Amino acid sequence: MTVLLAINGVTKRFGGVAALREVTFEVAEGEILGVIGPNGAGKTTLLDCISGVVRPDAGTITFGAHEIGHERPHRIARLGVGRTFQIVKPFTSMTVRENAAVGALFGASRLPPARAFAVADEVLERVGMAAKASQPVASLTIPDRKRLEVARALATRPRLLLLDEVMAGLNPVEMDEALEMVRSVHRSGVTIVLIEHVMRVVVGVCRRVVVLHFGEMLAEGAPDDVLRDPRVIEAYLGEKYAKKLLATTGERDG
Amino acid sequence: MEQVQVPPPPSPPGTAPAPRARVNGGRLRRPLLIVFLLAVLLVLLAPLTTTDQADSLGVPVLVDRSQIRILTTVAMFVVMASGWNLVGGLTGYGSFGNVAFFGLGAYTCAVAVDVHRLHLPMAAGIAFAPLVPAAFAALVGLALLRLRGHYFAIATLGTAVAVGEVVKNVDYLGGATGLFPPILHSADLLFLYLMVGAALLAVIVSRLILRSRFGYGLIAIRENEEAASVIGVNTTAYKVGAFTVAAALTGLAGGVFAVWNSFINQELGFSLDFNIQMILMAVLGGAGTLFGPVLGVIVLEFLLQNVAGRSDVAVYAQIGLGLLLAVTVIFVPRGIVDFFGGSSRLSLAHLRRALRETSA
Amino acid sequence: MQLLLQQVVLGLLIGGIYVAVAIGFSLVWGILNIVNLAHGALVMVGAYVTWLLFAHAHLDPFLSLPVVAVALFAFGYALQRILINRVIRAPLFFTLLLTFGVNLMIVNALLVLFKSDFRSVTPSYSGSGFGIASVQVPYIRLAALGVAVVLAAAVGVLLNRTRTGAAIQAVGADRDAARLVGVDLRHVYALTFAVAAACAGVAGALISTIQAITPTAGEPYTLQAFVVVVLGGLGRVGATVVGGLVFGLVETLGQTMVPGLGAGWANAIAFAILVVVLIARPQGLMGRRP
Repeated sequence: MTVLLAINGVTKRFGGVAALREVTFEVAEGEILGVIGPNGAGKTTLLDCISGVVRPDAGTITFGAHEIGHERPHRIARLGVGRTFQIVKPFTSMTVRENAAVGALFGASRLPPARAFAVADEVLERVGMAAKASQPVASLTIPDRKRLEVARALATRPRLLLLDEVMAGLNPVEMDEALEMVRSVHRSGVTIVLIEHVMRVVVGVCRRVVVLHFGEMLAEGAPDDVLRDPRVIEAYLGEKYAKKLLATTGERDG
Repeated sequence: MEQVQVPPPPSPPGTAPAPRARVNGGRLRRPLLIVFLLAVLLVLLAPLTTTDQADSLGVPVLVDRSQIRILTTVAMFVVMASGWNLVGGLTGYGSFGNVAFFGLGAYTCAVAVDVHRLHLPMAAGIAFAPLVPAAFAALVGLALLRLRGHYFAIATLGTAVAVGEVVKNVDYLGGATGLFPPILHSADLLFLYLMVGAALLAVIVSRLILRSRFGYGLIAIRENEEAASVIGVNTTAYKVGAFTVAAALTGLAGGVFAVWNSFINQELGFSLDFNIQMILMAVLGGAGTLFGPVLGVIVLEFLLQNVAGRSDVAVYAQIGLGLLLAVTVIFVPRGIVDFFGGSSRLSLAHLRRALRETSA
Repeated sequence: MQLLLQQVVLGLLIGGIYVAVAIGFSLVWGILNIVNLAHGALVMVGAYVTWLLFAHAHLDPFLSLPVVAVALFAFGYALQRILINRVIRAPLFFTLLLTFGVNLMIVNALLVLFKSDFRSVTPSYSGSGFGIASVQVPYIRLAALGVAVVLAAAVGVLLNRTRTGAAIQAVGADRDAARLVGVDLRHVYALTFAVAAACAGVAGALISTIQAITPTAGEPYTLQAFVVVVLGGLGRVGATVVGGLVFGLVETLGQTMVPGLGAGWANAIAFAILVVVLIARPQGLMGRRP
């Protein structure tokens, strides 16, 4: 197992608040790692640090052989890290195809315009947006926008893809489709770090999960184990309800 | 936590991608473009009928001196508006100070050809004209382009004012009086075609950029700078690059202007009138498009020339200009070009939609 | 030493004018997110109204303040409702262009009405003052400072202690949320602009007593207001007051300490400082992030 991404002691403060505190974990090449935690846990800040949008105050982030903690976002993208945003950021005056093509123009691939459009078609196919290639972005539904966001990131030919709550705002049917899309992307050889709130997605697709709470690592391991961890339950439900839940499940388990 | 997706903001006005990708363009577009280009060709060749050779051949005179002057001015503004379009239209950084490049280019050329200073031939002066503004833009751009929106606009405006003030106080640059490049007689045609050449260059450069990776990168920056950076666009380099190219083009226009006008001072070179006109022309015609600035220049110059030279109505002309600005921004923010290529038609519904998107 | 003290006093007094000019500008920027390039023109309108009342109705400039305030309030309300409101949600650049266009229209309308001759308002007591410890304090300038302070206080009271002020602040903080709780957005926008215009008018009235006015004299005030707001930080009346006074001080002291310094150089330096501050500290010297 080769380590693709190594986060070591990453700390990030905003004003007086520590959004991330001594976060340390590794991502193996080819795996799908889930990052979960209650709101405000610092998950998006973590992605921001990895993708270079924000600079960590302490700690190191290593991608492959490169130290990327202090690099600028475009350099990190060129090395092979792609990401999506929680609130999607499409290029609204371009068509779907152009949005994807821009990803191929830059990023790790840096293709000339002619080939970039070919790659665009390819990634649109993979995310299921091929039929809508010439539509303007403004006419897209939310699930489609999320797909486009993934397509654009894919077009940069990343080795590592950071997905920030792709399931948010989707109904169960859309969620299944998105889940299938994530699996498809993974099959094409991309390592994925997935921030998610929807537990069945996390359980369904991640082999390993990391839990953040108030910026700190709370637990790490297989989803089933982590979700049964009393500290994790307490983090999500609060002490009072956690105790109740554990009491009742304890009774039932006998 | 269910994330509520806020409906996306309306498509920023005046943002048209490269023509190739525009699928729903009106069928009117191609024939209109051809007519337009033919008209331009005619207009460009007509001045040749005022030469002695044409006279001896018996060719009827199609344009007179004053009209040649107007054409030269139009060409000059095409360069400036196209230059502004690169930064303000494509990249989305609305600069209020591009006239600084005009002035720097004009002064560079004037100093180069001045008898008491560098005393170089005119060709050298014009060749140097883009260089100083470009260097300035590259330097200052690094700092200025970190700002956005209002701050960027005012900072660029301030820079233009400041540079103008500095120039006015330096004796080598003519001080408050200005510089007087040598007058060339019977050179109207020469300057016309020089300026037209610059205009052609500006349009060609714009077209090359629009279809290139550079152009897509700039548009990506305009649409969403953060997203652009995480897909690999070196936003700083690209912004400064666009700024520098715009500066070079605008400086070139300034250089030719200096020798054409045979006079340059702070008021002319850093004229706030020129400043706002180049912006209005680009926006009126269609910011972010290829021919938008050209169209805008033609329309606005046509309007301006009808009231120019009559000092009694100069004030009213300014009021008209202000009104035109207001009308353009409120009703035609995407510019005239939008009526010809976009999915919208020239209609009341379109205007109402534009209003609805932007009003409270 | 005595000269220095004199200059400090004068600097503070003129600073009061800058405060009056900046308050309205800051209000429009903070609440409507519009940098009003026509602000200086509004100031001049106030100045000319004062002059008209003085020259034709022999009304003392300080007595005509309420008239000016009301007139500019109405004008500002109409202007916002009819024109400026149409670009509230448009990209920033278009609002800049629009206010620039409005500026052109107002300034040139003034030129048509009043020509470019210089005019001034000189009541009987202009030029006279009193002395404190060998420092001369001109009556008019002191009164102007007084008015400016009262104006700032009034705006502060309006914003913080009235329902209208609460609505204005709500719109400034989150316009969609404000709308959801029933605030009439368009009216509040227009109201805010009207208040700002009234402030500009009052500032203009004060200016007319201190310097000769001409339609184009408002331009520097717009830029100065911008500098004051940026340096002081958007959104706080207190910061604007401090910013305006500091600006007055620096300008007056600068002119005395470097005699050869033309107004042009001062502008150039001011802008250089402004750009540096903007880049280093986008939230201004005192303010929160805009």
